[in-house]
Amino acid sequence: MDTRIEELLPFYALDALTDEERELVEAYLREHSEARQQVDEMGKAVSALPRGAPPVEPSPRTKEALMARVAVDAGARSRASKADQPSRPRGMRWENLFQVFSLGAAVAAIVWAVVLNVQLSQLRNQVSMLNNALVAQSNSLEQINTKLSQAPASAAVTVSLNGTDVQPRARGELIANPNSQSAVLVIAGLSQLEAGKTYQVWLIDGGGPKSAGLLTVDAKGQGVLIVTSDLTIGEFNALGISIEPDGGSGQPTGDIVVLSDL
Amino acid sequence: MRIKNESDPLRLQTVLAPEQVSDEALAARVARGDSAALAALYDRHASTVLGVLLKVIGERAAAEDVLQETFWRVWKSASTYESQRGSFTGWLFRIARNLAIDAHRRLDVRPQALSNMDDADAIADRTPDPDSDVAEQAQVDFRNRQVRAALTSLPRAQRQVIELAYFYSMTRQEIAEATGEALGTIHTRARLALQKLREELDKEEFEG
Repeated sequence: MDTRIEELLPFYALDALTDEERELVEAYLREHSEARQQVDEMGKAVSALPRGAPPVEPSPRTKEALMARVAVDAGARSRASKADQPSRPRGMRWENLFQVFSLGAAVAAIVWAVVLNVQLSQLRNQVSMLNNALVAQSNSLEQINTKLSQAPASAAVTVSLNGTDVQPRARGELIANPNSQSAVLVIAGLSQLEAGKTYQVWLIDGGGPKSAGLLTVDAKGQGVLIVTSDLTIGEFNALGISIEPDGGSGQPTGDIVVLSDL
Repeated sequence: MRIKNESDPLRLQTVLAPEQVSDEALAARVARGDSAALAALYDRHASTVLGVLLKVIGERAAAEDVLQETFWRVWKSASTYESQRGSFTGWLFRIARNLAIDAHRRLDVRPQALSNMDDADAIADRTPDPDSDVAEQAQVDFRNRQVRAALTSLPRAQRQVIELAYFYSMTRQEIAEATGEALGTIHTRARLALQKLREELDKEEFEG
């Protein structure tokens, strides 16, 4: 029995030794089963210690933020799993969509033209409304008009976006050509953020979320962003907006306020 | 896609019946990507974990951030948890403790165990969560009370040594310096404290 090492055993059980001391104790325990038994007994007492602190009920927001973060990750995992299947490559959903359309070409052409007119009409209304509200963002609106004029008339698709439980009033639309690397994001109903925080937009595919830019909203909670990406928009499966520190983050770290499938 | 309410009690009762499912079984479900199982574990243990985090970090907002990070680590690392090597709560509290100690060092907060605050006697900031299962929460509360009673039975100086070592990861030398006691005294107090705590928990038939 080595008294010097025996003195360390309670602190080994408490995980409060230096690396050097821990190695010394572990070598000793391998050769002294009685000491190992003592440590196991002490470990049972140590494992109860966390319950000695008075419990504190967390804010509901902590769980909401956690579960929103988990939902984004679970979605990315699921999509990564699907993307690994050779019979269903990335972007297949969009291809299927266009295959369906091509089966009824004559009907689709008429429907498509009507839908497109409605979409363009809605978009003009939104741009007009936002133009009034967001005078300071005139540069952004010019960019929107440029992008719209460049987009092939038959390819525009509008996807509705919804707020999560964190900000259920948030709503918006993503107007995009699935084969393009940019899209227009129009959003409303977002809360004002405290200083030092910003909204960050994420496009999510099988590889996880990728930053698509920082979003500024006005006093009414409205904002517009030209979303750009290295991949075509059709290759992404979802869009999310999270609250991040100023300057943005490499991965979502804060509350997810908008999350919708594309 | 809207985020589903993963803590929907009806869904949990029909799919998981969490009050009848052990922590370890829920952890196995989390490892398979079941976010409802994570929500059930959160409902069961978040208040205990936050109590530990607040004790170590001492600042509510930072403690809540670390709480989220703790369960995020559970979500990301559940596949590495092996139930045959120890209880889920042991694993969970280790994650929380390590994150809390890192945060404590960043914030440079004075350990509460050195201040006048007597945690074992403190009144818990605990408003019952209407969504949590009453029987299950009562069981958790009962175990927590058992431990607090056992800790209260220890002489204060002994309890202080094990709390400084465990919650703040202070070395024997650091504790001796902070308390002004000889190193030999610290060794003795730590050994006696753990022995007595174990005996008291056995008396209470504490099951972990």
